[in-house]
Amino acid sequence: MPILLIAGKEAGELLLSVRGLAWLLVFSVVLSAFSLLLVSDTELSLLDNAQVVYDMTGIATALGGLLALIVGVDTIAGERERGSLVPLLLTTVSRDGILLGKLGGIAVAWVVIYVLAAPYLWAVGSTGQNLSDGLLGLALLGTPVVLGFGFLGMGLGAWLGTARTGLLIGLIVLVLAASPLLLGPSLRQTAVGRAFDAVNPFSAAINAYDAVIIDSVSVAAQATNLAVTAAWFALALWFARASFCRIAR
Amino acid sequence: MLIEINSLRLSLSGVPILHDVQLSLREGEIYGLLGPNGAGKSTTIAAALGLLVPESGTVRVLGRDPLREPRAVHARLGVLTEQGGFYDWMTAERYLGFFARLYGGSPIASALGDRLARVGLTPRRGQTIGSYSRGMRQRLGLARALLTDPPLLILDEPTSGLDPRGRRDIHDILLALADGGVGILLSTHLLDDVDRLCQRIGIIVEGRTVAEGNVVDLLGASSSPQRFRLRLTAPPPQAEIGNITVLASDGEWWTVDIDPAWNPEAVWPDLFCGGWPITEIRRDSGGLEDLYLALTERTAA
Repeated sequence: MPILLIAGKEAGELLLSVRGLAWLLVFSVVLSAFSLLLVSDTELSLLDNAQVVYDMTGIATALGGLLALIVGVDTIAGERERGSLVPLLLTTVSRDGILLGKLGGIAVAWVVIYVLAAPYLWAVGSTGQNLSDGLLGLALLGTPVVLGFGFLGMGLGAWLGTARTGLLIGLIVLVLAASPLLLGPSLRQTAVGRAFDAVNPFSAAINAYDAVIIDSVSVAAQATNLAVTAAWFALALWFARASFCRIAR
Repeated sequence: MLIEINSLRLSLSGVPILHDVQLSLREGEIYGLLGPNGAGKSTTIAAALGLLVPESGTVRVLGRDPLREPRAVHARLGVLTEQGGFYDWMTAERYLGFFARLYGGSPIASALGDRLARVGLTPRRGQTIGSYSRGMRQRLGLARALLTDPPLLILDEPTSGLDPRGRRDIHDILLALADGGVGILLSTHLLDDVDRLCQRIGIIVEGRTVAEGNVVDLLGASSSPQRFRLRLTAPPPQAEIGNITVLASDGEWWTVDIDPAWNPEAVWPDLFCGGWPITEIRRDSGGLEDLYLALTERTAA
């Protein structure tokens, strides 16, 4: 019950506060801009239908990771700076209960991005082609990646104590992790690129999107990629919990 | 005893903050925790709340160790932090309901309404907190602290930034709560608040308690006389009564010294009975401010 209450409060922070609504508006504009670019490419026959759905899925994952990171940092370090974390710590709810509630808030943020992204995936895929593959990939692989970035934000916020530093470091990690979106295939085939891909949850997700959306491979065959994203999720959750438990005030 | 802290030592990131802090607060008492900025008041409060781990010494709150039993302590404790910590998008009623549920209670509208009425926020109950002034936020913070009808309140600067009316309202609420048996730990820089509210004080300087006890006793123990200016409608019938010495007069204002060992509050009735036509009393020196400055300067030197 307290976990749901705190998760509800976090959702309200995102959906009812001016700051949260402004972020969602910005993400909608960014998704619209990418959609226009991708639709233009398909009209010019530069990209095929599966390719643009794959691109859009990767973009939605990156944006989801960004929003989760922002929410994660704000929910700990931001609240701490605004003085609203201590009253929560002084209730009868356990630290783990508060942490789980806040994790619930990040999950709500991801659901909102997922729902926002769905019509864009539908639109760029020429009215629904490859939509189900995109949504499935996003749900199974995007979810652990995005939530992991939320947990990373929470952990950094708790560990460093300031929202600005936590966000800065989190953004560097996110940009590094999402770099495969921008790198060409040849760079990713080098030894360094392969090693990076092997441990990077973002690479695991987009490699799986590639296989499922473009090559029509079954999701069940993506066990390695699923394992990498699940490991990232677990590691980030452990970091968030360890950092949150050491918060004093 | 609601709070009992003995020989508390505490470091943060390897830096010693508290060296030797003592504090004891009883039921129905308002205790003023004083000290310069950075003296360790907030750290002491954080230790009492179980948020920081002491190196040595004992901390007992409501008869329990707040580190070992934080939830049991927090359930019977009301806290107002200096920053308050509010969710601007919520209404006051929703905010209190949220915290009432977190404390495991059911947010009955009448109970929430009662808390809001006690702090004078009933007319603004439906407004979002973002539109509240600082004084209204302080009142809401106090309403949150009172949600569980706790026997102990810990308040950090509850009247800072308030206008005189707002301060007086908060004073009245705190005095009424203390009359009802609630113990209140008040951390503040405003000596007027302490003068009006507190029976006992503790002064912390550089992480050490340099004075603790009854305000009157501490003032009495200081060597400097307590100087007052009295407004009289006629000259006093006699220049000296017991421990009072008349020093000078300037029209209707008369300057008097009271022996430091005496409580001025006990002296005034004697003067009235002795025929002194007093219409106004103002403290000139020898009060809490002088005591505070003397103790903090002495320690700093």
